[in-house]
Amino acid sequence: MITKFQIAYKNLLRKKSRTALTLIGIMLSSWVLVSLLGFNRGYEAALNRDIDNMGYQVMVMAKGCPYEAATLMLQGGKGLRYIETSMLADIVKEPEVDKTTLILMQAFFDPNKGDDGGIAGYFGVEAGTFPAMKPFLRFYQGAWFTDDSAEEAVMGFEAAELEQRVVGDMIMVPEVDVPLKVVGILERTGSQDDGTIFVPLKTLQKIAGIDKVTTIGIKVKKDADITKLENKLYQLPDVQVVSFSQVKQTIMKLIATARLMVLSIAVVAIIIAMVGVINTILMSVLERKQEIGILKTMGAMPGDIFILVWTETLLLCGTGGVAGVVFAFFFAGVTDILVRRILPYAPGGGLVLIDLKMSLLTLGIIIVVGLLSGLYPAWQAGRIRPLESIRSDS
Amino acid sequence: MQTTGLINRFEYKISKTFLLVAFAVFFVVPNAIAAIGCDLNDPDRDVPRLFPGSTGYNTNYVSFASSSGAKLLSKVEERLDRRYIPIYAPLNVPYTVYSVINGRKLIGYVHGVNQKGQYGGNQVFVSLDLNGKVKALYLQKISGKLAHRFRDPKFGRKFIGISMKDFDSYDPISGKGTGRLAEIKNPAPEAETDFLSIMRALKKNLILMEEFGYLQGRKK
Repeated sequence: MITKFQIAYKNLLRKKSRTALTLIGIMLSSWVLVSLLGFNRGYEAALNRDIDNMGYQVMVMAKGCPYEAATLMLQGGKGLRYIETSMLADIVKEPEVDKTTLILMQAFFDPNKGDDGGIAGYFGVEAGTFPAMKPFLRFYQGAWFTDDSAEEAVMGFEAAELEQRVVGDMIMVPEVDVPLKVVGILERTGSQDDGTIFVPLKTLQKIAGIDKVTTIGIKVKKDADITKLENKLYQLPDVQVVSFSQVKQTIMKLIATARLMVLSIAVVAIIIAMVGVINTILMSVLERKQEIGILKTMGAMPGDIFILVWTETLLLCGTGGVAGVVFAFFFAGVTDILVRRILPYAPGGGLVLIDLKMSLLTLGIIIVVGLLSGLYPAWQAGRIRPLESIRSDS
Repeated sequence: MQTTGLINRFEYKISKTFLLVAFAVFFVVPNAIAAIGCDLNDPDRDVPRLFPGSTGYNTNYVSFASSSGAKLLSKVEERLDRRYIPIYAPLNVPYTVYSVINGRKLIGYVHGVNQKGQYGGNQVFVSLDLNGKVKALYLQKISGKLAHRFRDPKFGRKFIGISMKDFDSYDPISGKGTGRLAEIKNPAPEAETDFLSIMRALKKNLILMEEFGYLQGRKK
């Protein structure tokens, strides 16, 4: 015996193009919705991962210059402000502090980069403390510096790729023309470390002719009160304290606008798709008025007709929803690329993470909203009067 | 009935158009986005300078993957001598080729390659006419304290008119040979590695342009 599902399926196949277009509409709205949910989850996870990859949760730097990296890019070494290394002794006394590391960012002008020259940035770090902050760093070739004043460099993977260096090659610090031997190349991490050239702190201080640092990185003990530590650090003279929880909050606020925009698009897409569903099913009901009338004369109750038409809606929404989720899953990489192009800041790693729970949730939303949209056409079909419909068509 | 037919045809056209647009968005656009390589920092400024007489340019991306794949890569490496002139680019990394035009007429190309130098990666660009003759050589990036000597326009001008044929009598690995290339003096004898790096980059540049099918004459 033919089931209601089979009848509904055959009915949908009668108008293939119309059904296909409606399916595409539902599929797109499902795709947008699941991608949005995946982005919400993925972005925060990627941001947390980037912050964890920094290795430290709090940075102390000279007051008036909280954006060292930006200053480095815009003004080179000239605009940087420094802090005394002696400040470290005051910081390590605090009970919340687990580990610390001294960092010197320095930029040199390279006249042989393009026509107008360019800035080459270097990161002076201590071989004794910095690697402990970032235990996840692995070497593609070589190892960390042999000592803190060696004329050596460790390169991030992309920096090495760009400069086509392997361990044992030399690099030249522009402006001061100091050669450094490459002793290590890091594996790709997907973070800013990939493009960084690390130099022993004392070596970079000697090259730059300064005995200060630009940043002190602080790793806080587990379960320690970061806000309390920040307040204490602010008591130090002329320092700016940047906590990555603040940075995260600021970035998330920036992203909120983009999320709202995409959410609006998802809502509009769902509305359009649902109007499409109503239109398709209603058209189908009107075209089959005579058939429905005959079904009723043969004993079909309004409830049977209602369920039959509603099943068509269920089939449409179910198929479109599943197709959308499958597409979203397989094209998550493409969505990632497109999203990165519009965001003010995109952390490394995947930005769109779609899992089974999220897929089922999306499917549930699409089917529920779809079934609600199918209520009116199904109700209309159920209340068709058999004799009137047969007479009107003849 | 006729109306229904029209509507169905209209629906068919719409769905076909939709599929084409979807195909373009998801398959063509990502390729363009993924295009990276040795690009000019400011092509709007650099192309007219490297190719006097040009009125515009089109940017094209070509990779071994989009040509004949591993077979072509292997062939190019063979011609370059893979021991000394590594390509430093996997199969799917696109090379940027600027097709230079005058009005609507194609008049030549600008193309750059990365080549390992003494203290870093060198970026060597050449502008070529349609016969593969060098019109200008430009070192966009080179490291080292003597880099300015190689970037001197006088040095660059010595390469004007050079073509792949000149490498028949000159070996850029040893730096030995005869002919026009052998006559070019190293402006910084202390930086022999960088001088040879430029020669190797030039050969790599010309071979890639031939093998990617941009130049006439010598491509097999």
